[in-house]
Amino acid sequence: MSRQLTAATEEAALEQLHNSGCTDGLPVVIPTPARVERMVLASGLDSDVSLGQLGPNLGEATVEKAAIAAVMAGCLPDYFPVVVAAVRAVSDPRLDMTEVQATTHNLGPLLIVNGPAVSACGIASGFGALGPGHRANASIGRAVRLAMINIGGGRPGTSDMALLGHPGKFTFCLGEDEEASPWPPLHTALGYDIDQSTVTVACTEGPHSVLCFPDDDPEVYADHLINVLAASLSGLGANNTHFGRGSQVLVLNPDHAVALADVGYDRATIAEALHERAKRSWSELSTVRSRGSGINRHQRSQGDNPDLVVQALSSPEALLILVAGGTGLYSTVMPSWGAGPHGNSHLTVEIDLDQTCEVPLVMPAR
Amino acid sequence: MALVTTKFSPQGDFVARSAGMPDIPRVILPHPVAGTGEKAMKMVADDIADEVLQALGAG
Repeated sequence: MSRQLTAATEEAALEQLHNSGCTDGLPVVIPTPARVERMVLASGLDSDVSLGQLGPNLGEATVEKAAIAAVMAGCLPDYFPVVVAAVRAVSDPRLDMTEVQATTHNLGPLLIVNGPAVSACGIASGFGALGPGHRANASIGRAVRLAMINIGGGRPGTSDMALLGHPGKFTFCLGEDEEASPWPPLHTALGYDIDQSTVTVACTEGPHSVLCFPDDDPEVYADHLINVLAASLSGLGANNTHFGRGSQVLVLNPDHAVALADVGYDRATIAEALHERAKRSWSELSTVRSRGSGINRHQRSQGDNPDLVVQALSSPEALLILVAGGTGLYSTVMPSWGAGPHGNSHLTVEIDLDQTCEVPLVMPAR
Repeated sequence: MALVTTKFSPQGDFVARSAGMPDIPRVILPHPVAGTGEKAMKMVADDIADEVLQALGAG
């Protein structure tokens, strides 16, 4: 059971939460016992069920504590099963949240939702899906961040050591536009059935825009697109290029996805092509880094070999590809950190939409 | 024992408390160490070697 605070008014309670470092700097919904209880009911789980330990504080992420974060973030109870799955993911040791929160690199967990939960919760996947104006995206992602602050203890300058951070550390959640995609949804490529709902979490930098104009020749268009995506996934300033590991995310806008599908690409063959082409020669890399930073696994094994070519993706599976956003000229890549005990890889957790208890519209006042 | 750079000293304290080892010996290094090159790192190592041995109980 969480410790209860008291305040004379909601305004006073808000100031108390701000002053104690429990917010993200923006106003929150005050997590009264009645509101939290209502949120817990939406999970169908007991309030003391543990979803894992969240670092670096190694706090116990109970359903109740996740519900407190969801209330504070402004979630509807319908969104809570997604929050529960996402908190399970960020508490999973394989995501290295202790290290992710503590690093000086500017990364944060991106939540990609697939399956029936996208429409059930109204999670945006089209124009501006990562921007403002979408309540489900905004509040689900914010709930996870508030959990990382209040359960995981991530506070800037003392336990969250990101040198600058990025705006996605307030909230960073979208759905895949499965209807606009020419391919089966992302989660089916990760081993789930099409009627399951999932949240896939990859800790990444913010979105980087990738421009590619259409071409009259479909083969040329597709080839240019693969080339510019490969170059963007192997930026000379990106950790992945220097370390040769870490999951990266590619968000194809529907036009770009169709352009690739029209010449026969699917998700797997795009990943294979980008794994092959997202690379830099040793001579390019040697112009931008000091000898003291020689930490790429290729370099460790081969030394200063001028013929060395370094791949930014350790495997095709290190690239998550989804279709989202409006139609147009821009797709998006999200490079990552590439460090941590598990190499900054991604993780998918199923969302349990079927366990929700009936949530009364109004709970008795407390 | 833990080696912590000056800028990470508060974070080291936080993690030590979280891990239930608030009194774990810590030796403070200048910041940054990473990427400063082998020569600079050797100088840091020379400077702190006695302190590390002492923290390990061998000094």
